[in-house]
Formats: sequence, C-alpha cells, structure tokens
Amino acid sequence: MNLRFSLAFAWYYGFRTIKRGPSYVIASLSSPLTLLFLIYIISHGVLIRYAVVGGFLGLVASVSFASVGDAAFLRIQLRIQDLFVATSISPTDYILGLTLSYLIFSMPGIILYAIIGALIHIFTIESIIALILLLVVLTISTAGLSMTIGGAVNHLRNVWGISAIMSVVLTVLPPTFYPYTDLPKYIIYILSVSPTTPAAVLAQGFFGFEPIMYVMIPIMIVESIVFFVLARFFTRWREN
Amino acid sequence: MISTQNLSKTYKDGVKALNSVTLNIDKKLVSFIGRNGAGKTTLLRILSTQLKPSSGTASVAGFDIMKQPDKIRKKIVSIPQEASTLGVLTPIEHLKLYLIARGFSVLQANEEALKALRELEMYDARNKPSDTLSGGMKRKVFVAMALAANADITFLDEPTTGLDPVSRFEVWSAIKNLSGNIVLTTHYMEEAQELAEEVVLVESGEILEKGSVKNLLHKFEGKVRVESVKPDSGDYQIGRTYVKYVKQEDAEDYIRNGYNVRRITLDDLFVLRGVNLEP
Repeated sequence: MNLRFSLAFAWYYGFRTIKRGPSYVIASLSSPLTLLFLIYIISHGVLIRYAVVGGFLGLVASVSFASVGDAAFLRIQLRIQDLFVATSISPTDYILGLTLSYLIFSMPGIILYAIIGALIHIFTIESIIALILLLVVLTISTAGLSMTIGGAVNHLRNVWGISAIMSVVLTVLPPTFYPYTDLPKYIIYILSVSPTTPAAVLAQGFFGFEPIMYVMIPIMIVESIVFFVLARFFTRWREN
Repeated sequence: MISTQNLSKTYKDGVKALNSVTLNIDKKLVSFIGRNGAGKTTLLRILSTQLKPSSGTASVAGFDIMKQPDKIRKKIVSIPQEASTLGVLTPIEHLKLYLIARGFSVLQANEEALKALRELEMYDARNKPSDTLSGGMKRKVFVAMALAANADITFLDEPTTGLDPVSRFEVWSAIKNLSGNIVLTTHYMEEAQELAEEVVLVESGEILEKGSVKNLLHKFEGKVRVESVKPDSGDYQIGRTYVKYVKQEDAEDYIRNGYNVRRITLDDLFVLRGVNLEP
C-alpha cells in the first residue's frame, strides 16, 4: 500500500481544486444552501437545525456522488488512471486518494456549516465527534458507491446525468433535511440503500433532535465496507 | 528486453486486435508504426501491463507480463495515448504525484521533478496550472514524467498525435533526452524515421515487417514515388491516387507529364503491401 500517494493525490486533487477552481466549491454548496434557505422559510425556522446538520451530510454526499463522473472522466477522457496502472500503486491507493480528495474538497462547505451551526447553538463536544465520524464514514461509502458505478461506465456521454440523478435521489430524498420520524419505519429501511439515510438518522439522534436508531450504526459501517470493496473490484485497473 | 510469443488479443465485442504476434525487441528506440486501429496501442498496453492478452505470452525486462506484472511496473514508464493533464495541477505537481506513485519520497520527487523540468526547458512553466499550457507543453509534461522516473523501459503511445509541427518537434527533442529503452507507437512515418533505431510495421493485428529504416527502405533504393489521379499500369491504388515506383533518373519525365513525384518514406512499405494509408 502506498499511503503517501493517496495523501499526495488527495492534497493535490482536493486542495488545489479548491484553490484554483473556487467556482466548483460554490457549485457544490449551492444545493444544500438553497435547501437550507427553503426549509427555513417554509418551516418558519423550526426545522433549521435539521437542515444545518443535513447540510453537512448532503454536501459531503453530493461531492462524493459527483465522483461518478470524475472517476469515469479520469479513466476514459484524461487517461490518468492508465498512467497509474503501470506504477507500483494499487487500485485501493487510487480509490483512497480520490475519496480523501473529496473530503478535502468538502472542507470549505463544512467550515461554513460549522459557522452556521455554531450561530444557532446546535453543537456539543459529543455531537461534533459523532458528526466527524459520520462524515468520514459517509465519504467512504458514497465515494465507494460512486466509483463502483463510475468503473462500470463505458462512455462519458451518460455519466454526468447519472451523477446528477444520484446526487438528488440519494441525498435529497432520504431524511437528510427533515426529521426521519416523519417517515414510516419500513420506508427508512428502504431508503437505507443510500448511505446518506443511516448517516442522517444517526446524526439526528446524536444531535438530540430525534431518538437514536442504533440499528443504523451497523448498517452504515457495513455499507461503507461493502461499497469500498465493490469499488476496489469494479474499478477497471488492469483491463481484460 | 521485450519478447512476445503468439500474443493475441480479442476484445469482448469480438474485435481481434492482435493476431499471434511473435516479436523480439532489443534496440534503444523502437517504434511501432501503423494506421489507427492496426493494433499498436493494444500491443503497447499489453506490454506495459495495462491490458491482459487473450492468449500467448510476453516478457518485459525479463519478467512475465501475467505472472510478474508488479516487477515489470517497477522497471517501466507508460504514457497512454492522448493522456491529458489535470487542468488544476501544475507541471511540477504532476511530476511529483507521478514520482510518489512510483515510490519516490516527497523530497526525492521534488528534486527529480525540478531536474527533469530544467532539462526539458519547462522550468519557467513549472508553477502554471496546466490548463494554461499549450498542447505541446502538456505533452511535454508527460515526457518529463518519464524522464524524471528514469525507468529502464519507457512506453510512449502516440506521443505527438494532434500536435502542431513545432510542438511535435519539441516533444521529439524531449524524447531524445530519455534514458533507457524506449518503445513508442506512431502513425506518423516521419516520427518513426526521426526517432527510431528500429521500426515495426503493424497492420490488422499482425507484424508486417521489422528492421532499421535503412534496411526496410533498401528495396526502394534509387527509386522515387510517382503519383497520379489517373490509373496506369503497375499502379497501387491509395484512395483516388495511383502510385508507382520508378527510377530516380526518370523522375523529370514524369514531372513534365504532370505527375507528382515524391521521395520514398516508410509510407511506401505499407503501399507495397496494399494497405490504404488514406485517413
């Protein structure tokens, strides 16, 4: 394993994109911030706590879901992946590097949400620790899911559409921005196919907005492992 | 350095890209030349462990491509066809990232990257985001990667495709700076003539001929190529152009009669084989 490569890739691809392409950062923030605004207006401020906590998760998830296009673009268009195949790194190093770069890329948004959260007094030490863990695990599972799909794509023409659909369906539909208790339990389990659902349900529990649904902890962990392993095997490394 | 034995590749869609290729390569700079779709890239990708063959065996630097790919990867650099830079990253960042992937420490990577950029006269552009560089400079970033990696064998897949003549010349100069053995693919005959010690003619997944440019063109000694749009006896047809080979001393007569007369190039090896080189 070449962890040095994964960290270097994350730094260059994540941080340099923030520095040299700030419009991407604003674009990734636009959807969760718009939802935050709408939820604040429609609920007269009652649900703003949900929208802020959901904003953290929605931001990280939507950035990672965009990696469907990114992974396919690097492989098919830029041929960067092929360049790395003929080196000592493994597909795991490459996937980890990409995943960490999305986490770094989400940082400006995370900081913005942290400021909003601090202003409305939703944080405790425990909830901050829980949120950080949830964001890391969520990044791994959503990026894994995205790269699995990105690895299966043969042509770029459909890939941006797929990533946009995934971003909306798997981020906005789950109880990311509203109380999960508004949904029947079986719907929550169905929506748990999206890694955003267990993350949102747990976040609402750890922040004390709703009861903690402990069963979501193993679901989230198993999903992150499964999606990362799937990405490892579906990423076309040495092609057949 | 490289040997293949009955190497074949058939893609999932049924396209047969390589057909039982047996080959030995031991020269400093070897070029695979052929048309688009001839099988050059497939052969290069198999040799550089990016693609698995359907059958046959090959060894690179003494290691088997199927059994010892990790050992081969330590010895080679492979620059894919039409590889593009990441627009947000600068040349030095590309080089450092690539060298770190090859196992260099961060300090070593920085040192070697700067050295290579200086050598290829790219030092002044080292901190410019690569989406601000010209096409030639972007390709040179990849050649600089190969130079900095200092590998035993460098595979370059169509390193100058799509470049203007000046950029192509820049990349050629950069390639000449590479150490170790170099295997490149091209469909530009003048590129193979300029760079290669040995050329391998590839067509329809098979090796047509192999040798030095001088040896391969020996059969045309004292001749020129005469082109016409009208059919004539003993002609080879290339699209709508008819070609024949005549003695150099007869060239002026043909020019007077309205024929185009050209000097012999590697193109003519394909013409003799009846391969239509028209794009």
